[in-house]
Amino acid sequence: MIGRRGAALAAMAAATLSLMAQPAAQAPAPGAAAAGAITVGGDVTKPLSLSADDLKAMPRTTVTVSEEGREIKYDGVLVGEVLKRAGAPLGRDMGGQAVASYVLAKAKDGYQVVFSLPELDPAFTSNDIIIADTIDGKPLFDYQGPFRLVAPHDKRGARSIRMLQSLDLVRLRK
Amino acid sequence: MRLLAIGVALVSAAIARAQTPVPWVWPSIPSNFARPRVPADNPMTVEKVSLGRHLFYDTRLSGNRTQSCATCHEQARAFTDGKGRAVGSTGAVHPRGAMSLVNVAYAASLTWANPSQTRLEDQALVPMFGDHPVELGLAQPGSAMLAALRRVDVYQRLMPRAFPGDADPFTVANVTRAIAAFERTIVSARSSYDRYHYDRDDSAISAEAKRGEQLFFSQPLSCFRCHNGFNFSGATDFAGRREGGSPEYHNTGLYNLAGALSYPPDNTGVYEVSRRPDDVGRFKAPTLRNIAVTGPYMHDGSIATLSEVLDHYAAGGRTVVQGPNRGVGHDNPNKSPIVRGFPLTADQKRDLVAFLEALTDVEALGDSRFANPWLASSQEDRWR
Repeated sequence: MIGRRGAALAAMAAATLSLMAQPAAQAPAPGAAAAGAITVGGDVTKPLSLSADDLKAMPRTTVTVSEEGREIKYDGVLVGEVLKRAGAPLGRDMGGQAVASYVLAKAKDGYQVVFSLPELDPAFTSNDIIIADTIDGKPLFDYQGPFRLVAPHDKRGARSIRMLQSLDLVRLRK
Repeated sequence: MRLLAIGVALVSAAIARAQTPVPWVWPSIPSNFARPRVPADNPMTVEKVSLGRHLFYDTRLSGNRTQSCATCHEQARAFTDGKGRAVGSTGAVHPRGAMSLVNVAYAASLTWANPSQTRLEDQALVPMFGDHPVELGLAQPGSAMLAALRRVDVYQRLMPRAFPGDADPFTVANVTRAIAAFERTIVSARSSYDRYHYDRDDSAISAEAKRGEQLFFSQPLSCFRCHNGFNFSGATDFAGRREGGSPEYHNTGLYNLAGALSYPPDNTGVYEVSRRPDDVGRFKAPTLRNIAVTGPYMHDGSIATLSEVLDHYAAGGRTVVQGPNRGVGHDNPNKSPIVRGFPLTADQKRDLVAFLEALTDVEALGDSRFANPWLASSQEDRWR
């Protein structure tokens, strides 16, 4: 577990949107969220589809964010860990042309956000951006989950995309 | 002699305790819910809240003794009045409806369309003394009202206890401080939705309401972008927030009149204050907590039901087909880009209404601490 209280305080310092107030998906059938999966594709060498159980079995990271006067813990897997398993150029491979890469995250309702690849690489930054599957030890709410990308250092919550469905790596220079 | 000295000391201590205001704590706010921010110059005390509650329900605060604050802010209606447009003590009709006071302590700005109104203490002066329109209709500078209050035993007890440092606590400023303090106690945090969301009681709301929640927070509908945060409203503020929320106002395409002003001339929104053309039709997104009991809706009560409100947003603006306000709201030049319209089936509309109904806080609407203290059923508060 990586307690990121400092990050939480930084987020609280300038938060103008609650993480609760993020775009989400159209209403699926009840229970459909639990059967979700995340696909990892684009310019990766080993495209993946990760189920909820797959994520549970991976190394876990907890981040704490401040929402409207209270602290909330999200638990999940570093996005960098998932990208590494998909063969994205991270760690020693992060450099040169690989720096000119970004990850497009898409939600079930069509909402999209972008992260540069270096800001998702644990070897490059201490900003622990995770794919969360629990909130305060419980499954995410239907309108959030089953997976939510949580960027605790962002001052606004707009990139903490709810109902995450896919991550696509785009390498601008190859 | 020694016993006498001890007795005197005990009595003195008791008097000192009686004269020291007791800090207010919010019994109705769960531990994981935001606390209101309290102005440094108007700390919350039990005595001040009690005084404010009596004043809030007192018709001596209107010029002709026919209305109190509670006339237009009824607890059972989440402190609204069921009217599309409020009616003042002299019969003057307000261009806008009485806003809910539930969770008003969290509002970063007050009223439908005045960004400069940010303090409850200041806002209270508007209904008391305003003449455009006349609401409570008190005469400036309030001397007659204060004289009337002085003649009441309850206030002879409450005023000095609420403001113990004042040589003469009977001032208009203290009246507004006390009313503001009472208003800050009116917190709604125990709706079915809160039990679901904060207590993780998955059975607290229906499957329909959960589907409605997902629609509410979905990208195509984007309801949450204006009604955001824990209060489902425009900008909020609370204790500990490093940056206060900035007031936000939106033109939702409710009207699109021909001519220079696209909204009815008596109700132009922030434009009335700013005189900026792009502010025509911009109003605050009110809290959706208890929205099911606060109809009719919109700033002027021109939509009767929540279902019809959803029709307005699904259409990306209302079309008024006849009369002086006819026009296609969808095409209003100032309309918020968020109000684009969206497809909505009958089932989805029912789900959304179920979600909105889950925001009703029955406990707050019946909480005796917010009720009329002058009624026989609320005598417990009269000792103060």
